[in-house]
Amino acid sequence: MLTKIYDRLASLTLGLWLIGGVCLFLGIGSFSGGGAEGSSINDMPLFAWLRETPVVTSWWLWLTIACLALLALNTVVCSIESLRNKYGRTNFLVLIAPQLMHLGFLLIVLAHLFSAYGGYKQVMQVYEGSAIGFPDGERVQVAAITAAAGPMGMMTDFGAELRYGAPGNEKSQTIRPNEPLFYKGVGIYVKDVGMVPERTALVEIHREPGAGCALAGALLFTVGNVVLLAVRRGK
Amino acid sequence: MKWILVAAAALYLFGSFKRPVFFAGLLAELVYLALRGVELGRLPLIGPHDTLVFFSTSIALMAVPFFYTPPLRDSDGFSWSVGFLAALFALLALPFPSFNMPLPPILRTLWFEFHVALAFFAYALFGVGAVLGGMFLKDRARAVLDLQYKAALVGYAFFSASMVSGGIWGYYAWGTYWLWTPKELWTSILWLFYTLYLHIRLKGAQWERMVAWAGIIGFAVTLFTYLGVSMLMKSSHSF
Repeated sequence: MLTKIYDRLASLTLGLWLIGGVCLFLGIGSFSGGGAEGSSINDMPLFAWLRETPVVTSWWLWLTIACLALLALNTVVCSIESLRNKYGRTNFLVLIAPQLMHLGFLLIVLAHLFSAYGGYKQVMQVYEGSAIGFPDGERVQVAAITAAAGPMGMMTDFGAELRYGAPGNEKSQTIRPNEPLFYKGVGIYVKDVGMVPERTALVEIHREPGAGCALAGALLFTVGNVVLLAVRRGK
Repeated sequence: MKWILVAAAALYLFGSFKRPVFFAGLLAELVYLALRGVELGRLPLIGPHDTLVFFSTSIALMAVPFFYTPPLRDSDGFSWSVGFLAALFALLALPFPSFNMPLPPILRTLWFEFHVALAFFAYALFGVGAVLGGMFLKDRARAVLDLQYKAALVGYAFFSASMVSGGIWGYYAWGTYWLWTPKELWTSILWLFYTLYLHIRLKGAQWERMVAWAGIIGFAVTLFTYLGVSMLMKSSHSF
């Protein structure tokens, strides 16, 4: 019985059907309300969204996750089988490159799992001179809010100078688009500023616990992909 | 300046079965892109006009190495087919206005340029793969199918790198490497579809026709991801 299940899980055909399934359900999701731009799905951790959203809206995502979970299992088993069957019989790089890509894929799936469980996002409007409070009592001071406009009046740059750290050891950093401040495990991002009647900034606080894992997965995947291209060159 | 683009499209469309004419078309398009780049002071990658021209140029550019492979060395059909594709997207770019606005601050990063340029190189290789798939279905030359695999594999590498750079950019710009938006969903579908393509090939020789068709369907998915999502769905990625 267990051998039968293992053989099924090691099947390439199963992998193909599962990839097709993920494509299908993501495609359906892209046309449904849940995956639409501006949907609340991007404002809270995925698992929290799934708990709060009726299944009639989120069914495509449940099925995507089910297919992905099986696909992850299928990937692990296929990699084990490939290593077992080909070890010592083929060039090491030819054997290892696809497995690195598989491992990268699995790390990326794991990263999404971490973020889906422990991600955090908060949007707030801050004024020049105000402070962003942290649960441990620490405060990040909004020292200055700046903006620059181009000849047509379009905003070409904006930012907020933040001061943080213990008294006597204060540090300062100006956050801009693409230049957040990473502090106490969260990222502080400036999204927009207003200069009249008061200097205000729209700030987002993000915690993305899967980011490191996703980067590691992406790097492993890229290395595997480059090695695969190198070993297949000229063949 | 758009006359250079019209000239490039005409060269592709009416003369690309002759390799020197194809190269003249490519040169004209590269000159047009370079002039746009000098005018803007950056890579022209914003708006439907510039992205369609970039896509068209990428198709012609990515097809060049295939001209020198033994199965296609004497094939006028291949150069005309990729010339036709390049001309089609160059002509589609013409009705759209070319924007000369400064870049919004969020787009002023190298990660954005990597992300978009690599995606278009990948799209172009998927287009070349679709042409090769059509040629295989017509002539059943196994060597052509192998070239389709190479186009898809290199395209997949470019596309994966584009997704990685997009994720890094997203983390610095929006605080997350992933958002549930139609464009990101379709980008994942496209990446998974080519993962599927690369794995179908492992099924063996009896699946060759399916592989060729998958390469053609993959390009349709590519076009929907690039143009369809931008035109039919509301997305922050719209051009």
